[in-house]
Amino acid sequence: MLYREAGQYKTSYQADQAVFPLLQDRVGLLVILFVAYVVIPLTGNDFLINAVMTPFLIFSLAAIGLNLLTGYTGLLSLGSGAFMGVGAYACYKLTTYFPDVNIIIWIVASGFVAALVGAIFGLPSLRIKGFYLAIATLAAQFFLEWSFTRVAWLYNHNVSGAIEVPQRTLFGVPITGPNATAETRYLIVLTIVVGMTWVASNIVHGRIGRMWMAVRDMDIAAELMGIRLLPTKLLAFAVSSFYCGVAGAMMVFLWYGGAESTVFSINQSFTILFMIIIGGLGSLLGAYLGAALIFVLPIVLRFVPPKLGIPVHAATVEHITFMIVGALIIFFLIVEPHGLARLWQIGKQKLRVWPFPY
Amino acid sequence: MRAPAAGDQAAREILLSMENVSLSFGGVNAISDVSFDIRKGEICAIIGPNGAGKTSMLNVINGFYTPRQGRITFKGVARAKMRPYEAAERGIARTFQNVALFRGMSALDNIMAGRTLKMKRGLLWQMLRYGPAMAEEVEHRRVAEEIIDFLHIKDIRKVQVGRLPYGLQKRVELGRALAMEPELLLLDEPMAGMNLEEKEDMSRFVLDVNQHFGTTIALIEHDMGVVMDLSDRVVVLDHGVKIADGTPDEVKSDRNVIDAYLGVAH
Ligand SMILES: Nc1ncnc2c1ncn2[C@@H]1O[C@H](COP(=O)(O)OP(=O)(O)OP(=O)(O)O)[C@@H](O)[C@H]1O
Ligand SMILES: [Mg+2]
Repeated sequence: MLYREAGQYKTSYQADQAVFPLLQDRVGLLVILFVAYVVIPLTGNDFLINAVMTPFLIFSLAAIGLNLLTGYTGLLSLGSGAFMGVGAYACYKLTTYFPDVNIIIWIVASGFVAALVGAIFGLPSLRIKGFYLAIATLAAQFFLEWSFTRVAWLYNHNVSGAIEVPQRTLFGVPITGPNATAETRYLIVLTIVVGMTWVASNIVHGRIGRMWMAVRDMDIAAELMGIRLLPTKLLAFAVSSFYCGVAGAMMVFLWYGGAESTVFSINQSFTILFMIIIGGLGSLLGAYLGAALIFVLPIVLRFVPPKLGIPVHAATVEHITFMIVGALIIFFLIVEPHGLARLWQIGKQKLRVWPFPY
Repeated sequence: MRAPAAGDQAAREILLSMENVSLSFGGVNAISDVSFDIRKGEICAIIGPNGAGKTSMLNVINGFYTPRQGRITFKGVARAKMRPYEAAERGIARTFQNVALFRGMSALDNIMAGRTLKMKRGLLWQMLRYGPAMAEEVEHRRVAEEIIDFLHIKDIRKVQVGRLPYGLQKRVELGRALAMEPELLLLDEPMAGMNLEEKEDMSRFVLDVNQHFGTTIALIEHDMGVVMDLSDRVVVLDHGVKIADGTPDEVKSDRNVIDAYLGVAH
């Protein structure tokens, strides 16, 4: 019975209203942060940092964004890829016009542009829900994707049609562009993602989070509590798009180093959606678990078997990944809509009473 | 029967007044030209056979439906149209015939959701969940805990309400409505589907709410025993028409009411 709350009596409501009331959870969190901030940058190679950890964190942030909208507020969106794109292009334009302002500020600020666009495309959500809202967000996806290719101003009329990330520095150290090291970019991504996860967790545990979940679970009763549906839903769209926008900006500026509009296609939207379905709707932890599974699984399949002497073809990996992810989605949709996060909770529950069955 | 209330009834101030209210769905008249008052501090029962228009009446009162005609005056302000959130802002809370809890949330969070209107800290503070935001959270948690104590649901406060038995769900739903500190509480069959013991508990809660907090209550209930015990006044609807209005005793012996309940053809 290592993991349990026995003896940890809350002496105040403040302690009980804390996000992690259990000591073990807080310690676990500190260990994870220590590994992420110290162990990985010191011991990890470029591959681990640049091809695994950085994108994993970026996808996790996008998944948190979509989860705020779909998992917490119950509004299904197929436009998260496009909202990531809005963030990326906004960041590009902002740093083009104001190159002297620090790029980190622009990465975060581009979230506001995405939030505005997200809120505008969220307007139909007052009248329509479920499948029809998904179609409306799909329209947003296609419209925005179209803009990314057709509005040459967005990519500074580059002949390639792509964003090319310029070099930007922080205290003289390059943080974007070809000269920035993988570690630097990773640490920036990590800090932004950790900070925004903390904020998301604060929001969902407070009044606004409860309003979102109330709208998700029973909108007529929510309205009766005095919750105005439209502003609440629009706020969810805005905050969600903010997160996706920052994720998109980081994806281009701190990971890819450049991108075309195809990065923000409908496929990206589906990838993020699958992450939250597998990870767990309505759970921040689930966003991480889902991103880990969907993004890291193909990498593991690609690189682990050869190390064990089993040759695999890239195409085979792709097929196997599709099959596993497809099967998992069906499994979670049917058996456990709360995803990996729920399985994790059940596991913790078991651990709490271990070694007894109850 | 609650003797003291009956005597001073006329002296009490009118909280809600319905005048000639009619509501129809397509061609069906759910409510036809119904008028009645609910006075401050009373428990007013609305009874009638199935499909009489009782639930529709509550839906009109809290703004879900806009009546085809008629006037509704609440706290002295008459209005033609009111959104449900406006009703909430003005102090009307309600429970539903088929429990309408936020199923994915814990009992505590459901009750905390009832405090939404009382909480003022905006997005920026919510993002930090610190200082004033945390103080506010704790302050309202305290109120929620008082309600939890009052309803004896301490053990289940952290349980997701979707997993609770029906009787407890109804109790949590009452808690959520109480959290709004309403002036007028609308209860749609709060005891439906309960066993005797649960009904007695629920009746006790309803009476306590009325007496200790002075909350005015409009109650729909099919169990005549409960209605007679709890209410100060009874309004009887049948086929959308008001057929009686008075003290439980008056209503019990009313010819029309007996006919309606025994199903005598009109
Ligand atoms: N949304 C609606 N659309 C169409 N007809 C409706 C609607 N709501 C209620 N009705 C009709 O209005 C009439 C009154 O219904 P209401 O639900 O108010 O009855 P009730 O007195 O609450 O009955 P019960 O005791 O069964 O709950 C019924 O004939 C019902 O079919
Ligand atoms: Mg009814």
